[in-house]
Amino acid sequence: MDTLKDALDFRDFSKAERIGLLLFSIFLLVFPWLGTGSFVKAVMIQFLLFSLFGMGWNTIGGYGGQVELGKAQYVGIGAYTVALMMVWWKIPFWVSMPIGVLIALGYSFVIGYPLFRLKGHYFAIATICTSLVLQDIFINWKLVGAAKGIELPIHEHPDFLYMQFKSDNYYFYFIMVLFFAGLFYMNWFRKSKLGYQLRMIKDDEEAAQSLGIDARWCKIKAYSIASAFVAVGGGFLAVYNLYIDPYSVMDLDLSIKIALMSMLGGAASMWGPIIGAAFLVPLDRFLGSWLGGQRGLIGVDFMIYSALIMIVSAYQPRGIWGIVEQLRRRGK
Amino acid sequence: MAFLQVVDLVKDFGGVVANNHISFNIDQGEIIGLIGPNGAGKTTLFNCIVGYHKPDSGKVIFKGKEITGFKPFMTNREGIGRTFQLMKVTAGMTVLENVMVGAFCRVDDRPIAQKEASEVLAFLGLKELQDYHLNELPIASQKKVGLARALATQPGLLMLDEVASGLNPKETEEMVGLLKKIHQEKKISLFLIEHVMEVVMPISQRVIVLDSGEKITEGLPKEIVKNERVIKAYLGEKYAKGL
Repeated sequence: MDTLKDALDFRDFSKAERIGLLLFSIFLLVFPWLGTGSFVKAVMIQFLLFSLFGMGWNTIGGYGGQVELGKAQYVGIGAYTVALMMVWWKIPFWVSMPIGVLIALGYSFVIGYPLFRLKGHYFAIATICTSLVLQDIFINWKLVGAAKGIELPIHEHPDFLYMQFKSDNYYFYFIMVLFFAGLFYMNWFRKSKLGYQLRMIKDDEEAAQSLGIDARWCKIKAYSIASAFVAVGGGFLAVYNLYIDPYSVMDLDLSIKIALMSMLGGAASMWGPIIGAAFLVPLDRFLGSWLGGQRGLIGVDFMIYSALIMIVSAYQPRGIWGIVEQLRRRGK
Repeated sequence: MAFLQVVDLVKDFGGVVANNHISFNIDQGEIIGLIGPNGAGKTTLFNCIVGYHKPDSGKVIFKGKEITGFKPFMTNREGIGRTFQLMKVTAGMTVLENVMVGAFCRVDDRPIAQKEASEVLAFLGLKELQDYHLNELPIASQKKVGLARALATQPGLLMLDEVASGLNPKETEEMVGLLKKIHQEKKISLFLIEHVMEVVMPISQRVIVLDSGEKITEGLPKEIVKNERVIKAYLGEKYAKGL
């Protein structure tokens, strides 16, 4: 009961933030009726998906302060579980997705246990490596489609059991519900015992230990929560794209995007991952399709992308939300 | 039975023996000072007791239970709190949140942790500072927050590493007052490393002296200052005459 109250209670945010959240929610609810084209809708879906990924990453990467660059492997686990179970045994999404989350949880404990003996840069590199290894295994594993990937059998529209739809509006509302579930979870998480302990670990791990906090165990827990989060998103990706391969759901590029968006928006804040995704997803998509298509301009989108990240991280390491908070404090 | 027993503890960093066969006892409710010149092995001894270092040999027994080699979070859960000589000051958390983390050691619910943290803050007179971040506070207040969050874990023994370093005489006096208050009202044993004699001499019931990794003596403060080895090693004749 208290858990639910904490999840739904946004009162400790400022009035401006609460109004912003309300307007944003209303905007999301009416968005499919605004008559935007399918490209914009696809960008919106991508934005909500990456917000969800970012919120997950924020538990360990933001609140826990651990530079985690291997989230793509868990996107892959979520996506592959949903896809394979459907292709092999015709298991519906609502069964396979939770199973995917459980596998991601189990796998993250196995990986996290040795991984969190490492700290700082070594930890970051190790997370990249574990993700690359899993990707390589899937690229070469014939049983799961190897490099060719898997296509999901198409069901008649609308199928709420397998979550397959013809219209993007359905997918939009679907990911929106997942997004809000994630948002409420994070609202609970930041006020939970684990949330407080992680922030202490981030600030001063030695002192955290002296306050009865088993730092390694806390980090493993947060890492697993983050993994479960992105596995949900991975499951969504499978039924949304109806096709997955190791390059689209397990790539290093994806891991780095997930981490970068949250860092750009503001790690360890409630709104950071959402703001980061709202900046970078459209930028990525529009610049990519606009500049990437022009002759001689291939790669310019990446240059703009990286310049932006460098500017923000040099000016304010706590990202866009950090800048907002700085201005707000100055205003007081 | 002693509250904390350290038996024949050795910590060898290879080349430097930081703690060479050190034994002592602390009884429940005592205030013990640990003094010695720089490099005497005081902080190493602390770290061996609370678990940041693993002793090479010897035993640490707390409340009759052997805790040698326990991790720091485990010794804390057994009931040993500690503060650090140097606190990392960050903008990440407010004072209240810092102390709540301490309270979370014993409780799971946020409202209870918050209530306990508020009580500790009120007890130490830090109530007005609760919404500040550590980096916005003067050193004296930072040290008190360190004390507060250790207290919030409800220790039976509180180990303080140079709690008065960097404080001016007035702040030092205030700190001594707080330590006395903690000892009397919370019935907590105190074990303090201290360079500032104005802190350690008036409140310690016994003083242990380390020099170059060896325990050279222990005794009442007024005996310690007359001990020749101590004077040579650490105090300087001037202070001893002044008493």
